[in-house]
Amino acid sequence: MAKPINFDESGDSQDLQALFDSIAAGAGAASPLPVAAAADSSGDNADLQALFDSVAADSVAAQQTPAAELAAGGDEVFRRIGHMTRELHNTLRELGFDKMLGDAAKTIPDARERLSYIAQMTEQAASRALNAVDIAQPIQDGLKNDSQLLGARWEKVFTNQLSVEDFKALAADTRSFLNRVPQQAQATNAQLTEIMMAQDFQDLTGQVIKKVVDMAQTMEQQLLKLLVEAMPEDVRAEAPSGLLNGPVINALGRSDVVTSQGQVDDLLESLGF
Amino acid sequence: MPDPSKIKFLVVDDFSTMRRIVRNLLKELGYVNADEAEDGAIALQKLKGGGYDFVVSDWNMPNMDGLQLLQAVRADPALKHLPVLMITAEAKKENIIAAAQAGAHGYIVKPFTAATLNEKLAKIFEKLEGASA
Repeated sequence: MAKPINFDESGDSQDLQALFDSIAAGAGAASPLPVAAAADSSGDNADLQALFDSVAADSVAAQQTPAAELAAGGDEVFRRIGHMTRELHNTLRELGFDKMLGDAAKTIPDARERLSYIAQMTEQAASRALNAVDIAQPIQDGLKNDSQLLGARWEKVFTNQLSVEDFKALAADTRSFLNRVPQQAQATNAQLTEIMMAQDFQDLTGQVIKKVVDMAQTMEQQLLKLLVEAMPEDVRAEAPSGLLNGPVINALGRSDVVTSQGQVDDLLESLGF
Repeated sequence: MPDPSKIKFLVVDDFSTMRRIVRNLLKELGYVNADEAEDGAIALQKLKGGGYDFVVSDWNMPNMDGLQLLQAVRADPALKHLPVLMITAEAKKENIIAAAQAGAHGYIVKPFTAATLNEKLAKIFEKLEGASA
């Protein structure tokens, strides 16, 4: 985990401050470049363009200049970048974005914890429910089997195939079966209640999910604000999402997904599979 | 119809709950012989050890996903005959086509019902018997 960001009184990170100071110390007479938000046709900041042009000019000149001048040219580039970064940082600070970014970064560990909690709760609930099923199913299977066996024997009674001795035995067995049933039904009911109770996670996880959704929304707004200022429209391209997307949350307006087993079967059939 | 209890399944999914549910459903249908793996890599290792007759696999898993497992199975001469049934939340048409082309015998999309699992298993066994008849 990254170490927490330290903010001094001016609102600057101490590490950033040290970096700027070291660059400024080597600045000499170089004047700070104004921060211009104007973008030219390629989407680049005009200052960046000027910087690139001067670097390109430097490298052309460098092919014909001795080493000392080369070094001086490199230093100049470094100083200019330092100044531009300083100006960008100041602008961000004035607009309040650096605090926002810092806060956003701090909420992420909290969100992680909450999501882990949700995963844990849902797993426990699933376990509880499945355990209850494992207990109840054999009880039901037992009831089913016993009643079927008895039923078969009773069939023989009604088709006059049972001796008197066997009939007495059947009566006794049936009686004891009937005595067992209420107790087994009760045991099954208890497991059903346990399954019902295991659903209580929903209330707790629902609350936590709401918190995380709110957090994500706030962070998204803050980051978007920053991005919109810094990036022109056409740069924001759609990244291809590949084949590991997980369940479809909202199929509205999408034609690239299926929403039922029937559609899966139809698609496969239409392709000859 | 071969004896269901003789058929050895490998259930592959990174969520233990899902593995448990699938195993329970298989048991209900008479397929009592089932083993588990939590990702494609472990699954492939187990399969290479031999003895398995059927693979039921999720797609989205760490280390080796379901598609990669399917491709690895089809590429191995000792394993390529194994029926593979995908059970996954991935619902893009792209996914379904990719699985079919990689040689999956069936594709079930989550959430699914016991009836669907039963139907797809029956269909696969029917096809297999038809092929060997």
